[in-house]
Amino acid sequence: MSDAAPRAAGVPAAAEDGGGDGARAGAAVKVSFPVVGMTCAACVSRVQRALEGTGGVRDAAVNLATNKATVELERGAVHAGELVAAIRGAGYDVGTESAQVAVEGLRFAADVGPLEAEVAAVPGVLGAAANRATDTLRVTYVPGLVTMPRLERAVAEAGFVVAAPIAEADPVERERALRRREVRRLAARAAVAGVVAVAAMVASMPLMGVGGTGTADLFVRLVMPLHHALARALPWLYAVAPQPLKIALFVLTLPVVFWAGAPFYVAAWRGFLHRSADMNTLIGVGTGAAMLYSTAATFVPGVFENAGLPADVYYEAVSTIVALILVGRLLEARAKGRTSGAIGRQLGLRARTARVFRDGVELEVPAAEVQVGDFLSVRPGERVPVDGIVRSGRSAVDESMLTGEPVPVPKQEGDVVTGATLNTTGAFVLEATRVGRDTVLAQIVRLVEEAQGSRAPVQRLADRIAGVFVPVVIAVALFAFVVWFDFGPEPAAVWATVSFVTVLIIACPCALGLATPTAIMVGTGRGAERGVLIKGGQALEALAGVDVVVLDKTGTVTAGRPHVTEVLAVRGPGSAGPASEEERARILAAAAAVEHRSEHPLAAAIVAAAGEAGAELPEAADFEAHEGRGATALLGAHQVAVGSAAFLIELGVDIGPFTDAFETLAAQARTPVLVAVDGEPLGLLGLADPIKEGSVGAIRVLRRLGLEVVLVTGDVRKVAIAVAGETGIDRVEAGMLPAGKVQVVRRLQGAGKRVAMVGDGINDAPALAAADVGIAIGTGTDVAVEAADVTLLAGDLRGVVTAVELARATMRTIRQNLFWALVYNVIGIPVAAGVLYPVAGVLLSPVFASAAMAFSSVAVVTNSLRLRRFAPTFAT
Amino acid sequence: MHVAQLTVTIVGFALIGWVLWYFLVPPARGTRARRGEGS
Repeated sequence: MSDAAPRAAGVPAAAEDGGGDGARAGAAVKVSFPVVGMTCAACVSRVQRALEGTGGVRDAAVNLATNKATVELERGAVHAGELVAAIRGAGYDVGTESAQVAVEGLRFAADVGPLEAEVAAVPGVLGAAANRATDTLRVTYVPGLVTMPRLERAVAEAGFVVAAPIAEADPVERERALRRREVRRLAARAAVAGVVAVAAMVASMPLMGVGGTGTADLFVRLVMPLHHALARALPWLYAVAPQPLKIALFVLTLPVVFWAGAPFYVAAWRGFLHRSADMNTLIGVGTGAAMLYSTAATFVPGVFENAGLPADVYYEAVSTIVALILVGRLLEARAKGRTSGAIGRQLGLRARTARVFRDGVELEVPAAEVQVGDFLSVRPGERVPVDGIVRSGRSAVDESMLTGEPVPVPKQEGDVVTGATLNTTGAFVLEATRVGRDTVLAQIVRLVEEAQGSRAPVQRLADRIAGVFVPVVIAVALFAFVVWFDFGPEPAAVWATVSFVTVLIIACPCALGLATPTAIMVGTGRGAERGVLIKGGQALEALAGVDVVVLDKTGTVTAGRPHVTEVLAVRGPGSAGPASEEERARILAAAAAVEHRSEHPLAAAIVAAAGEAGAELPEAADFEAHEGRGATALLGAHQVAVGSAAFLIELGVDIGPFTDAFETLAAQARTPVLVAVDGEPLGLLGLADPIKEGSVGAIRVLRRLGLEVVLVTGDVRKVAIAVAGETGIDRVEAGMLPAGKVQVVRRLQGAGKRVAMVGDGINDAPALAAADVGIAIGTGTDVAVEAADVTLLAGDLRGVVTAVELARATMRTIRQNLFWALVYNVIGIPVAAGVLYPVAGVLLSPVFASAAMAFSSVAVVTNSLRLRRFAPTFAT
Repeated sequence: MHVAQLTVTIVGFALIGWVLWYFLVPPARGTRARRGEGS
């Protein structure tokens, strides 16, 4: 780890973007940390604005579903403390975590101060307290802004030795703990408010139906039958005079206002000071108005009576509203916990322990202690603890947790095995090659986590609405108050107050804030379970809108494991025929000697064929690869060229003898490779690459989904057409170099198409990056393909179908969510304002409104959770 | 009662104006323009 890197913000895993404007701006780093106290879309935009307003912050994305902020910073320009201050200034807080550090040599009281000061100075550390009795240092920090190695360095800089590496809290465990704490807190508050609400409701029955909004109020109509039953059941309650009853209700409501509902009022006030309004403002002003009105009616009823107004109280409405909203948030918090379940399930796959050979002895150690180079024993039925290479033994490994592929993959000496996969029947010894944060599983979890925290462009609509929504609602509520007061029936002040409170309570932008992120979380999580890793909301949205799928041939449509099927030799000036044993060995030896230096899959096939033919490879010098076309090298005194017809013609080779054979091979989907020695043609190789299982079915479904499918390849046109014919593709772009594939993508985009490019992520990286959506076909071991928006772990075209279907399902869910969140408000607000009253004589009660509001956010989250049951066409 | 109605109307509309101004018009002093939602 470089020493200079984290000074800026104690930033781990710096994501470089290189797009800085000169040396001053430099590289950017990305940090992600928890934010506490956000409840709705307006909170999100407030935190986002606060972060963006901090100098040196290039971009900030805040996610309500994960309660996380991701900030892109100019390296070195921002101190973590400024970010924390910005969040707190906006009326929120950062989530903190604490770590216990065992420190050696903490002997004297005088040591404590400097150590604490040094550690506390680390950006992102909020506090450090040393304990000499236990030789430990307790550090409170913001996860995401501080790395454990940075803390260890700070301890070392203070002149102390860290006794054991600092264990960082498991991110999933941490999130679960945070979630549990939130749920517990909400449950306690909701319980108190609920009990008070029921008691207040009962106690206020005798006061109801006396004047006021009486029978127009939907809620009063509903409870009227109860009213009579209660009068019979609790006659003593009805005997109490109204005034003492009102005072009792006032006292009963105090804990609801000052404890259970306190966070609303505090947040609303903080928001007010920052000139921003969110759902807390609505609840605060709404219940606050009801509470003030009731308090005044209780203690100075004379004022009301003098003005000819009834001194009605709404204590039961205040506590019921607070209780219902808290219950809504409680359900929401629990449902949000479930949306991120996919990561938890994946982490749960890890092996907890590993059997390591140390000094020839097999020891069982925690999986976290395995180091690169360790030899591990893996027994039948066990999970592979880390990534590695099989060194002895053989088995079949079930990789379905990574790829969704149910058939176990055979493994023998030299094969790569991925951690968290399940060993089936055999036993083997594994050499660890990647451990801890570097394993494939860790990468997947990180990728999914990032994706789940990302924002989709469609969210902008919700953000824009939320930004102006609350002030507009307050204005509408005030307007309703004025209209009711001026034109409403008597007692107008009561009608006006009720509609004012109801409008504020029913209008909640929280469903709007949850609409997109919850769907993205569930969608990307579900994809990960199916071996489809989607990089984020933007990729998801782009994928759902794709018109054309461009498929690379080799390794995507075909298996990418070509083998030599024909070897032809020159039979005189214009003709060629099958090579004899001896010719075959000679041709393959020459070709393989050149090609064994190349990394092209065709090269590997030629080398393998030479090996099978028993050919001995001469030493090659001056090797030169010509990307996508061929290669040349010196074998002794002879210049040998291997490659495509075009390449050899370019070199001045007369390929006349092979012209006919060339056509025949290509028509059979054989890739022709020519071999020439000293400018003279020597032989022609035909290589076949079998079509992958699943390609034909996947392409059929892609077309059924309304997508145009294009095959692009570096191979000759005839071969491409043959493959296209077998798989049902009707458009072919052959003879393409990597740059040409980019041109194909650009051309399609130029025609107004949105293009998804599917390729192997290495040769096709430029085209993947150029496409609207780059889909990399992985092999299960390379997860974080840079250029790709989507990585298919199963390495099979059926994953493309799953990805497209999942993206479409997710976007559909988002649109439904946004639609319901908006429609709910569009209908709810006018009804609450009383537009139905002149027509139907109905006015909503504030209690009704709060139930509807709680229901709206729960409905949105539940709708997103439906995606957990998403079933793709190719279910495995 | 007419006085009360007139008062409520005037105060009500003044409040509406003030709420919209207070929350929607960004404060003038040295604040950055509201930026787009990034890339």
